[in-house]
Amino acid sequence: MDDPGALAVVGHLPRAHVVAASPRARALGVEPGSSLAGALAVAPDLQLRDRDPALETATLEEFATWAGQFTPCVSLDPPDAIVLEVSASLRLFDGADALAQRLQQAIPELGLHSALAAAPTPLAARWLARTRPGTLIQPATAWTQALDALPATLLADGGTVTPATLELLHGIGVRRLADAARLPRDGLARRQAGTVADTLARADGETPDPRRWFVPPERFESRLVLPASIAHTEPLLFAARRLFSGLAAWLAARHAALDRCCLVLEHDDQPETRLEIVTGRPGRDEGRLAMLAREHLAALPLPAPVEALRLSSGVPIALPGSTPDLFGDPDSARDSAALLLDRLRARLGPDAVHTVLPVAEHRPERAWRAAAPGTAAIRAADTPGPRPLWLIDEPRALDSIRALTLLAGPERIESGWWDGADVRRDYYVARTPDAALWWVFERLDPPGGWYLHGYFG
Amino acid sequence: MSASATLAALPPGLVWQADRLARPGEAGLPTGFAALDAQLPGGGWPRGALIELLADSPGIGELGLLLPVMRTLAAERWIAWIAPPHLPYAPALAAAGVPLEQLLLLDPANHAESLWTIRQALASGGCRLVLAWLARADTAALRRLQLAAEESGTPLFLFRPAAAALQSSPASLRLRLAAEDGALAIDILKRRGPALVAPIRLSVPDRPGRRRRPPAANPPTLPNSPKPPDTLPLPTSDALVCADPARSAAAGVHARRG
Repeated sequence: MDDPGALAVVGHLPRAHVVAASPRARALGVEPGSSLAGALAVAPDLQLRDRDPALETATLEEFATWAGQFTPCVSLDPPDAIVLEVSASLRLFDGADALAQRLQQAIPELGLHSALAAAPTPLAARWLARTRPGTLIQPATAWTQALDALPATLLADGGTVTPATLELLHGIGVRRLADAARLPRDGLARRQAGTVADTLARADGETPDPRRWFVPPERFESRLVLPASIAHTEPLLFAARRLFSGLAAWLAARHAALDRCCLVLEHDDQPETRLEIVTGRPGRDEGRLAMLAREHLAALPLPAPVEALRLSSGVPIALPGSTPDLFGDPDSARDSAALLLDRLRARLGPDAVHTVLPVAEHRPERAWRAAAPGTAAIRAADTPGPRPLWLIDEPRALDSIRALTLLAGPERIESGWWDGADVRRDYYVARTPDAALWWVFERLDPPGGWYLHGYFG
Repeated sequence: MSASATLAALPPGLVWQADRLARPGEAGLPTGFAALDAQLPGGGWPRGALIELLADSPGIGELGLLLPVMRTLAAERWIAWIAPPHLPYAPALAAAGVPLEQLLLLDPANHAESLWTIRQALASGGCRLVLAWLARADTAALRRLQLAAEESGTPLFLFRPAAAALQSSPASLRLRLAAEDGALAIDILKRRGPALVAPIRLSVPDRPGRRRRPPAANPPTLPNSPKPPDTLPLPTSDALVCADPARSAAAGVHARRG
């Protein structure tokens, strides 16, 4: 979004209140949590959007899918968090600091804001991300002290502590988690506040806190509603990049690759436009997919402004990750050749990119066929006579061969009754006055007429 | 010390004297023709350069000139043919030993697409040779192509009409091709070195008129054609005698003997 303006998301339970506010709205004094009336009093021009729980869940799932590239153990922690179990991934990503840096660089590209923290238990990580984003606690002795100074209101965040219990704690002067931890367990239980001790035990790792792992979808399908309708290619590509990076992460998490995907442009009152993006080699490089999409879009006149983008994958193909090589990538030459092929196909159209192969056939115009580049030729039988390097599609009638010198021939090529293209010709190699060599034939059936059929280039 | 002695004492490659061929840092791709290699800086086709081949009529051996360099074995990279004027004929190419699985024939829709395709083919690094046919090209476009070729280290062979010889060009090598008595006459219009004294004459292999076989018992004569035979002088010395039709050949193909 270029200019979100003063925008606030409004929730209606238990009363109309602001759930989130854009930076400009916050500059005007609208704070998340304030009442709707209060927000409208300080910012009368505030644009309001209703909270959409389904969209929030979808975004969270999309984000979890994306995060699957860092660890297979991702769990959703609704309404606004995901938990990554990264202890097994730290070595691959050079430690927690490097991994956190990587996440922090990549998440804004998804169009999301993040607060990130690491701790030995999911609940502690959540609390730290909420209050002290950026904290990375390594599992060491006495790490739980880091939680002591956090506000006690966090007990309701992600835990089972009810607001009534929270009020009770506030009433007896409990402000910090350390204060809550000092309370006698049986006393809490007698006051229907046993959940406090349970929650603290889970946060400290004293009792287990099992999570259900998120299973990424079998097919990638992602939709992006554009904030405003777009009629130009460049902003579309920019928006599509988010979809492609989601797709690439989904593929990385599955150790899979794709050789085709479909980008659908949705219009308001027109049938949607489908772009089939086909790559020559299965891959999961978002840059390559985005580049191919660019070539497709460049060649495509948009029938109407685009309202939404949808990206769906084909069937993924298993592809193990590549091990980086100390001495450069031996596949790079093959890779750049495949990339060039994809690019040319996307821009020029698949028909304009091909190779030619010989076919075992005596009629010259049928002795070749177009094939996909890279198709290996089957060793064709030697031709009985010389064949030119250039063939003319339609033999060109010659008015006279007076000026030509016939050097070799004749070579009789005839018959073809079985497919209706019967020929009877005598072929010669002829030299023109400027010493070029032509492949000419005399038509025998019906007799008469000389034709130019090729050049010995 | 005289000037020439001073020059001679300099390390090779530091100073280029205009009466000698430039010595580029990298040896060229052997052309397959010793006479041509001797006249080219680097002893072959330059590896990253625009090479203009100027010729008017097809059929003079312009492709034959490039067959040896196309035949050389290389990694899995393309030999791109961009906007060829006619159909490259697969049986002849296969017989000449061109690796067809590396051939990439491209038919861009128009001139602008052709230029785009050439630049992509060069910039990708996925081609080992790029052959392109352009009817017209202004100097700015040629300069861009020359730069693209230099950056990628890929030779670009650009076929242009002979009239383009009058136009100045940033190409580092320009050859004018013409046929002379069954041989290919090459005039080097521009190279990094002194002007060529006389055109080089190359005998391009795989040309039907040049192949000779032991004298045939029956020199071929002309068939009954609408034109009387005496108007078609047939130089027997240049004649190629077709092999006798083998019965195992494809049905319906046989040479007719006079």
